[in-house]
Parts: sequence; structure tokens; C-alpha cells
Amino acid sequence: MLVMKNINKIFQTADIQTHALRDFCLQVNEGDFVSVTGPSGSGKTTFLNIAGLLETYTNGEFLLDGEDVGKLNDNGRSRMRNQKIGFIFQSFNLIPDLNLYDNVDVPLRYRGFNAKERKRRIEENLERVGLASRMKHLPSQLSGGQQQRVAIARALATDPRFLLADEPTGNLDSEMAKGVMSLLEEINQQGTTIIMVTHDAELAQRAKRTIQVKDGRVSELEIVASNTDKAIA
Amino acid sequence: MLETGLIIRALARNKIGALLIALQIALTMTIMVNAIFMIQDRQQQMQRDSGLDEANTFYLTNTIFGQDYNIQAQLQTDLHMIRNTPGVVDAIQINAIPLSSSGWSMALQHEPGEDKDAVGTAVYMVDEHAINSMGLELIAGTNFTQEDIELRKDGQSTWPAKTIITKAFAENLYPDDWQSAIGKTVYISQTQPMQIIGIIKALQAPWNGWNGVERSMLVPFHRESKGSYYFIRTEEGQRDALMPAIEKALAESDKERIIRRVTTVEDTRKRSYRQHNATNKILTTVVITLTLITGFGIVGLAIFSINRRTKQIGTRRALGATKGQIMRYFMMENFIISTIGNVIGCIGAVALNMWLVNTFNLSPISFELVAFGVVALFIVGQLAVLYPARKAALIAPATATRTI
Repeated sequence: MLVMKNINKIFQTADIQTHALRDFCLQVNEGDFVSVTGPSGSGKTTFLNIAGLLETYTNGEFLLDGEDVGKLNDNGRSRMRNQKIGFIFQSFNLIPDLNLYDNVDVPLRYRGFNAKERKRRIEENLERVGLASRMKHLPSQLSGGQQQRVAIARALATDPRFLLADEPTGNLDSEMAKGVMSLLEEINQQGTTIIMVTHDAELAQRAKRTIQVKDGRVSELEIVASNTDKAIA
Repeated sequence: MLETGLIIRALARNKIGALLIALQIALTMTIMVNAIFMIQDRQQQMQRDSGLDEANTFYLTNTIFGQDYNIQAQLQTDLHMIRNTPGVVDAIQINAIPLSSSGWSMALQHEPGEDKDAVGTAVYMVDEHAINSMGLELIAGTNFTQEDIELRKDGQSTWPAKTIITKAFAENLYPDDWQSAIGKTVYISQTQPMQIIGIIKALQAPWNGWNGVERSMLVPFHRESKGSYYFIRTEEGQRDALMPAIEKALAESDKERIIRRVTTVEDTRKRSYRQHNATNKILTTVVITLTLITGFGIVGLAIFSINRRTKQIGTRRALGATKGQIMRYFMMENFIISTIGNVIGCIGAVALNMWLVNTFNLSPISFELVAFGVVALFIVGQLAVLYPARKAALIAPATATRTI
């Protein structure tokens, strides 16, 4: 479970102080599929970065799976990212010099799995996204949709509790976007909690919950599929 | 967990930059190892024992211009005066100075006659005071006696019946047992017999670049020549004060000659090895410059590579890499490039050395020196990549979500 209470994030330069998140409160339960929408500069990427432990927050309380994230040092956050969180990025962020097999291998090596276990997980997850036959291909030899599938396989390979997706369909045409979305829905149905930032209202509607971020706060909450899940406003 | 396999595969797809650095390391290794070898070789040459008490000896030239000059009488007077000067240990007349680049050489052979094998040697014409005056060490046999000393006129071609040789020369003449040289007869000028009566530990020839520099012989001659050297040994700490005093005393004692070039043996050594010193400085500069260029090259490539891969590094951090793992990635990448460079460099270093051995008659480089080169370049590589790797480790994981 992800719980954020009164999270503030202030970016400070010499002259300017920017409040990216203001008393941001949210609870995401296990199995949720939450889409996060909002205008540019609203704070949704900052939220995603903090939720994914990519960035620290200025103050507030953030519990991830019951652990107080604020008490973790950099290594602790790295470990938690590796063990509990999977990332899907708008521009896929595959490593261009590595083939698909090696790309999926990267987080598994940081996890310290042995070669046999890594091989099993890589093959299983590339199979899961339908790219097992292309594991020796380089990312540049794939279409955008296929690259995003590889990124999903990489994110899933470590069996994360949370999948954080930053505009996962932003660089895809509508057909590919639908395919990726269907895959995310399937993954969610298998029990992985997903938080997805998107501009696309139609895709956002396909999530179980949609929240809108405006001026660094959760401004609106729509529960689509679950009456038990709610945001702490 | 080490990412060696991933790094090698990534490098294989981006080989130009890495290959250029590896070649730079290889070139540096090739030149560095051979340059250090040449420096060491020269250092060893410069540190060879001349056999002399260098700190307490000096010499001067005595050039006579007077007509009807009694050279022998003046020589005895001069030597008596110098030897009795307080602070002087002993003094001799000598025909040449070790390491001065100018001297006499002859050849000795086991059997008389033409077409017989002969071994070249430097010749020092001295009297029985030579061992004491030069600070030599007699390690076998006996010294000359006063009765052994003969007068040698300019142009004379006959030689005395006795000689004292260096140990190195004895080893060359009698490789099985150098001490057996004592009492043996050798032949100079092809036919003239000489008996070896003594062996001194060391006395270098005047020519430091000669491969027989350790081969010298003393012959019991006083030269009746208008130009000769006086070689003087003083008590410890007295040399510098006695140099002008003796020069003045000699000059004032006889106005029909010129006393000049009052020089310490230490200065002669410095002059003798001036070219060696200069070459070593140049080679050291080349080694340091090349190593720095290689280090900067590694820094440059690493920084370029990190700037190019900023988002990739952020992504790795997002996927769970710690700062330490990011640092280790770049250190390992450099280690792999350095390994390739060092392997090529080792081959290059040995190949260049083989060429030097064949062309300039140098000795082969040692395994230790090649190993030193490898270790040194690994250290340089790792130190050079430390700052860029640290910079990479500080790239925020949030960089992964940035679109620019």
C-alpha cells in the first residue's frame, strides 16, 4: 500500500521557490490501477518521481508497503526501487547498446539474482509481452510499441509490487497505445498495482481510479471501479 | 553483481572511442616501459663504481713550455711538495683521468704474435702511489715498488714488465678463475710480455660508453712529457680548500709551465654523464607527458560517455542501481578498456624492445618492468576515471523521467 500524507515538494533556487506539491495526500491500495492526469506543470511528474523514490520530498509522510520512505538513505531507496517498484517511461528508456535480453537483465543484476534465475525471469517476461523470439534484437530494431513492451518486461522482471508508468503511450500511435494499455490492464488483473501518469483522457478512463492533480494538489477524485479505494483529501 | 558481460557487449557496439583509448594506453605502455628501461639502464651506468675515492680527489694539468726543462726533476719536486702538503693523502702523475672521455688504450693477449685474440683495456701510467692516491682497492697480488717505476719518453713503444689490472679485466682474461691471473704473463703490443702482479677491485676507463669501461690496467711509468696530469687525493673535507692552494703553490714554484683545469673527479663524472642525464630528463618528461595525456584522454572519454548516457544512468538508478554500482560500472568499463590496451601494450613493449636489442645492442626488458607498466597504467586509468565515475553516480534517478 502507498500512503502519502501532506507531502510537500519545494524546488529552491537562489531567487525562486517553486511549490511542486502542496500537502499532497493519496492512498493507493494493493491491486489498484490509478491514472493521474493534470495539466502540464501541475505536479504529476513530481508526484510520480516521489512515489517512485526517484526524488525526495521536502516534508510530509510517505509510507510504501508500511515502510517510512523518509527514513531511507540513498542506498535504501535504490534497494526499495529495485525490489518493489517497476518503471515504464514515456520514451521507453531502453539501453540502446544492449539487446532485449540484456536490457531486461539490468535490474535483475542489481537485485543480485544468479544467472539461472535471471535467465528464467528474462525469458518468462519477454514471453509475457510477446517478444521472446526477439531477445537478441537491439531496441533500435523494434517498433515503438515493441520497445515499450520490452520496457514493461524489464519493469515486471523483478516482480514489483508497484508499477509506475510515466506517459507510457505518449510516444506511440493509437493502435500501439491500445495494445500497451491492454497489457497494463492484464498485468493489473494479475495483481500488480499500477500508477499511470497520462495526458490521454480516454486511456485514463480505463484505469480503476483517476485522480487529477492541479497546482500540486489532488484536486479531484473519481472512483471508477472500486468503492473501497479512496484518496485522503 | 558485476556487469562485466553487459559492459563488454555494450562496448562492442560502441567500439571506436573505447578502441582509441585502448590504443592510446597501448602506445603509452609501449613507450613508457621502454623509456623507463632506458632510463634505468642509464641510471645503472651512472651509478657504476669508478673505483676512485671521488669525494676526495681532484686533478690538474701541468703543461710545460720552458726550453731545456728538466721534467723528471720537476716531477719529483712537485710530487714531493704535493704529498707533503698538510691535508693531502697522496698524489701521482697520470696520463689520463677515468670518465674524462680522453685516454689511452691498448690490448693484452695471452700469447705473443699477430692474429692472436686480444682484449682491449684502458692504460693508466702511474707509480706505486696510484692505489693510495686514487683510493683504489687492491684485492689480490701486490702493488708496484719504487724500483718498478720506469721513465717513459714521448713516443716510446716499450712497456714495463709488470702490470696491475682490474678484477673485471682479470675475469675477462681468465673467466674460470680471475684470481689465477696473478703471476701470469700477458702480452702488450702483440709481443711484449708483462706479468700481472696485482688485481684492483675497480677502476673505470676514461670512456663511459665503452662496453669495456671496467677494463683498466696500471703500468709503472713516470712520463717524461710536457703535458701530464697530477692526480691528488686529500683527507676528507679538505679537497675544496686544497685545490686552489696546490694550484697556486705549483704555479708559483715554476714559471715555465701552466697549471690549469683544476677539476674534481665528481665534476668529471657529472660532465661525463651530462648527456645521460639530459636524455633521462627528456625520457622522463616523455613518460610523464604521455601518461598525463592518456589520463586526460580517459577522463575526456569518460565524461563524454557519461554526458551522452545521462538519461541511461538515470534509468539505471531508477531500476535500482546504487551510486556505488554506477561508479563501479564506469570503473569496470575503464578496467576492461585498460586491459585491452595493456595487452596490446605488452606486445608492443616487447616488440619495441626486441627491435632496440637488435639495433642498439641493449639488454632485454625485465618481466618486472612490464608488470610495473601494466599496474601503473591500471592505476592511472582507475584514478582518471574516478572523477567522471563519481559525477555519473551523482546523476539523479529522476533524470530518467525527464523528457529533455
